Amino acid sequence: MRAFLSGLAAISLLVACGGASGGGSTTTTGADIIIGAPLSLTGSSSKEGGLAKQGYDMWLTWINQQGGINVKNVKHKVQILYEDDQSKPDISARLTQSLITDKKVQFLLGPYGSGPTASDAVIAEKNSIPMVEGNGAAQAIFSKGYKYTFGVLSPANKYLQGVLDLAATLSPKPSTIAMLAADDSFSQEVAAAVNDYASSKGFSVVYNQKYPNGSTDVSSLVAAAKAKNPDMLLNSGHLAEAIAINKSAKDLQLNAKLFAYSVGPSTPDFITALGKDSYYVMDGSQWTPQVKYKPSFYLSVADYVSTYKSMFNSQDDPDYHVAESTAACLALQKAIENAGTVTNADKVRDALAALDVMTFFGEIKFDIRGVNVTKPMVVEQIQTDGKHHTVYPAEVADKQAQYPTPAWSSR
Amino acid sequence: MSLFVQQLVLGLMLGGVYVAVAIGFSLVWGILNIVNLAHGALVVVGMYATWFLFTHAGLDPFLTLPLDALILFAVGYFLQRVLINRVIRAPLFFTLLLTFGINLVLINLFLLWFKADFRSVTPSYAGTGLSLGAVTVPYIRLAALVIALVQAGLVGLFMNRSRTGFAVQAVGADKDAAQLVGIDLRHVYALTFAVGAACAGVAGGLLSTIQAISPTAGEPYTLQAFVVVILGGLGRVSATVVGGLLFGLIEVLAQSQVPGLGAGWSNAIAFAVLVLVLVLRPQGLMGRLA
Amino acid sequence: MARPAFSTQPSRAGRRLRRAILVAFLVVVAVVLVLPLTLTQQAADANLDPTTLGIDFAMNKSIVRTETTIAMFVALAAAWNLIGGLTGYAAFGNVAFFGLGAYTVGYLTDKLHLSFALALPLAPVVAAAFAGLIGLPLLRLRGHYFAIATLGTGIAVGEVIKNLDVFGGATGLFPPILRHADALFFYLMAANAGLAVLVTWLVLRSRFGYGLIAIRENEEAASVLGVNTTAYKVGAFALAAALTGLAGGIFAQWASFIDQESVFPIQYNVEMILMAIIGGAGTLFGPVAGAIVLEWLILELAGGGASAVYAQIGLGLLLAVTVIFVPRGVVDFFGGSSRLTLGYLRRTLRETSV
Repeated sequence: MRAFLSGLAAISLLVACGGASGGGSTTTTGADIIIGAPLSLTGSSSKEGGLAKQGYDMWLTWINQQGGINVKNVKHKVQILYEDDQSKPDISARLTQSLITDKKVQFLLGPYGSGPTASDAVIAEKNSIPMVEGNGAAQAIFSKGYKYTFGVLSPANKYLQGVLDLAATLSPKPSTIAMLAADDSFSQEVAAAVNDYASSKGFSVVYNQKYPNGSTDVSSLVAAAKAKNPDMLLNSGHLAEAIAINKSAKDLQLNAKLFAYSVGPSTPDFITALGKDSYYVMDGSQWTPQVKYKPSFYLSVADYVSTYKSMFNSQDDPDYHVAESTAACLALQKAIENAGTVTNADKVRDALAALDVMTFFGEIKFDIRGVNVTKPMVVEQIQTDGKHHTVYPAEVADKQAQYPTPAWSSR
Repeated sequence: MSLFVQQLVLGLMLGGVYVAVAIGFSLVWGILNIVNLAHGALVVVGMYATWFLFTHAGLDPFLTLPLDALILFAVGYFLQRVLINRVIRAPLFFTLLLTFGINLVLINLFLLWFKADFRSVTPSYAGTGLSLGAVTVPYIRLAALVIALVQAGLVGLFMNRSRTGFAVQAVGADKDAAQLVGIDLRHVYALTFAVGAACAGVAGGLLSTIQAISPTAGEPYTLQAFVVVILGGLGRVSATVVGGLLFGLIEVLAQSQVPGLGAGWSNAIAFAVLVLVLVLRPQGLMGRLA
Repeated sequence: MARPAFSTQPSRAGRRLRRAILVAFLVVVAVVLVLPLTLTQQAADANLDPTTLGIDFAMNKSIVRTETTIAMFVALAAAWNLIGGLTGYAAFGNVAFFGLGAYTVGYLTDKLHLSFALALPLAPVVAAAFAGLIGLPLLRLRGHYFAIATLGTGIAVGEVIKNLDVFGGATGLFPPILRHADALFFYLMAANAGLAVLVTWLVLRSRFGYGLIAIRENEEAASVLGVNTTAYKVGAFALAAALTGLAGGIFAQWASFIDQESVFPIQYNVEMILMAIIGGAGTLFGPVAGAIVLEWLILELAGGGASAVYAQIGLGLLLAVTVIFVPRGVVDFFGGSSRLTLGYLRRTLRETSV
């Protein structure tokens, strides 16, 4: 089948070249490009997996409306084949192999989460199939010399650095940090980076504790943090834990000047779950609907947001899980175009390694490990109008940070 | 020092949650000899019931508790009468596997109906608490503790004061003899499981005000109910209360008071305690000797 | 507690049927074993450029992976059968041995840069040693108590390892990728599965095996008859652990990435028990058949987008139907004394219900 497809592609390429030499840049249609994507559609990360799928589907709809990916004036329509990995690394690996061999996918888009991403990266590597992922920020997978995995998101260690940069500019300047972190690899990398970075900005970490991933009760940790009377309460974990920590902080009247959680506040669920208690909370975000990047292709930021709302019939803006997933597609698309081939996976890999492109999501340019270190993280805050606003860095911000956070009793 | 007191208070409150969750689990295990792996899923049914009544009918979450109990009573009676009664005399793997299957079905039904969204029940008084110097006692958690204890008391009264309770106890002690004196085994089994499920429903209602609700939110509680029942011992309501409160304290103190170990170790410590108790005192701290 | 009689004297027709099924089974096994060899040979000939590789090779890699996974679960289910099926102890934490084996190989290859060949033999040793250590206190417990103690042990071991930075902490371990070794991993897993069946066969025919069955039927009586119950139980437990640990060790190198989540999954405990019971606990081939059928089903049902939820519901219902109607496992129909009839279903139903 694949041989047949590549044969087709070769023929249409010939036709296209003939057409081009005849004058003008008429395009022809080539064989479909088939992309595989194992995703958590059930299981512990199904919420985030669903968001990632929205991001992939947005690009898919758009690119096929354009007629497909344009490779040397031949347009190839795209199919994305999804498999549900149930948020489990071993199942994800199995499905990835099956996508490659049974479904003949030519390229891979990443799964959700650092665990499945790591196990799928091994499969991509063993099969020499390029995988572009937008949902596994832990850096450990990129330190093993794998050649075929590329991550479009800013790595874990950047997640809360923006918050610290912002905090350094605020007045009255906060000085102490209480850092809570789940014990998964991503959250631990975030926390380690905060500990390393804090002193360079003149902060001291007065409380630093990790808790088991998936904890439902973190009140004793919040109580211990409160005893240190920190100016900032930081958490690196996931949505459920961010909600639990915020509830406990109110229960125990922990009145920090600044609350920031790595993951969670960016999703609409955080606001619906906590109501007004979610106000003032900040998060380090890969992307917000307010960023002001000038993309060289695909949609502008504003168009992206409006397309999302109409496509998914949603009142809410897309959160960054959606955007980073779309960005992974964009990187793959550009690399295929630059490589000028849909069949030579190694050339596409090399094109990914050499990629430098500006998108609505920010600049995508991979370092030697395959990590996108160029793009900055932004800081967003849920403000008293009940909406997300970008507050840092200043050049992309749409609002000033609301600071300091008032005491719970006076809200 | 005040931090230590605060931790003790939080530990007791967490223990209250564990008592609420474990009462039903313990009852079903003690009387029917069924380890109900679907217990956590039943707790989640209670969570969604409270969420639904709170969001769509505007009911106060604490007022929904009797309704939760009623709904879960019906669900529990049905499950036992129609399914679990069919394997009750088979080796213990079978009830384990059957309840595991029920758990799988329930969780995926939640996923179908409610998606993987996180929901929350936040009444206006959420987050308020009693301040005693530097120690804060959150009202909702305090109420959860009190209701858990009341619930334990009611189950104890039912077992030891009512005719039906005597029948249930008789079945637990010797089912053949119970059958001889004319007790309808199928009905009593189903009734026992239904009471256990109703307790899970109340626990779910309480939990919905404390944590985020999602289809898999009940998973940790099945395991924790295990530990609580083992810790306290099987066969008495008071043992479950002691086990629950103690486990809450152990978990909170393990998170914050063990020098050299962080809260990351709390799961390891909890299960190490479980295994130690089993090895050293298999009947639990307050259980009757087998 | 009523326990179904697991082995009965088969009739002559039953014996003939059993022989026919055994032959057919061996033929299938032979084909399955030889195929990966021939097919991956093409891959070696095909220059190993993924873009020019033939379709056959690509197909095989996926099939070989599926077969490897199934072989792994055959080993896990057969190993569990030694302690759970033969001895009657409801071990619910065998995943601890799997994880220990995996982390042994992971640690030695990733951190100490030992070769896989040198590291692998240590995986069963570590797992068996641990089983011996915890077996002495835990195997004094009975019934649910033993089940929960082993479950707790399984979780605690995973949690401890996750908290130790020498073992990679939360990040996990990355044994170096072995390229073009798909066939190798299949044969290793298949060899381990075969070893597990062979061990079961030997145990079933030995004094040791009779002792284990005696313990299952009545431990006090076995003890009175002079069976050293403690030694026998710990022996069976350690044997199961060694086979499970070996599977874990192979898995670690095969997956090239392990963390607590991927090698201490609680659902493996349930799956291996389920496989043994669906096939027929305490029998030689029951766990094998159960593992093949159930794992194949699980693999087929996985994936598939939104329908995965329905697949999970189907799995749960299948589980319920199986334990309610076929409590002795499917092996009971093939070569056992029973035939799959409505009467059988009604009888087993009456046997186990109130």
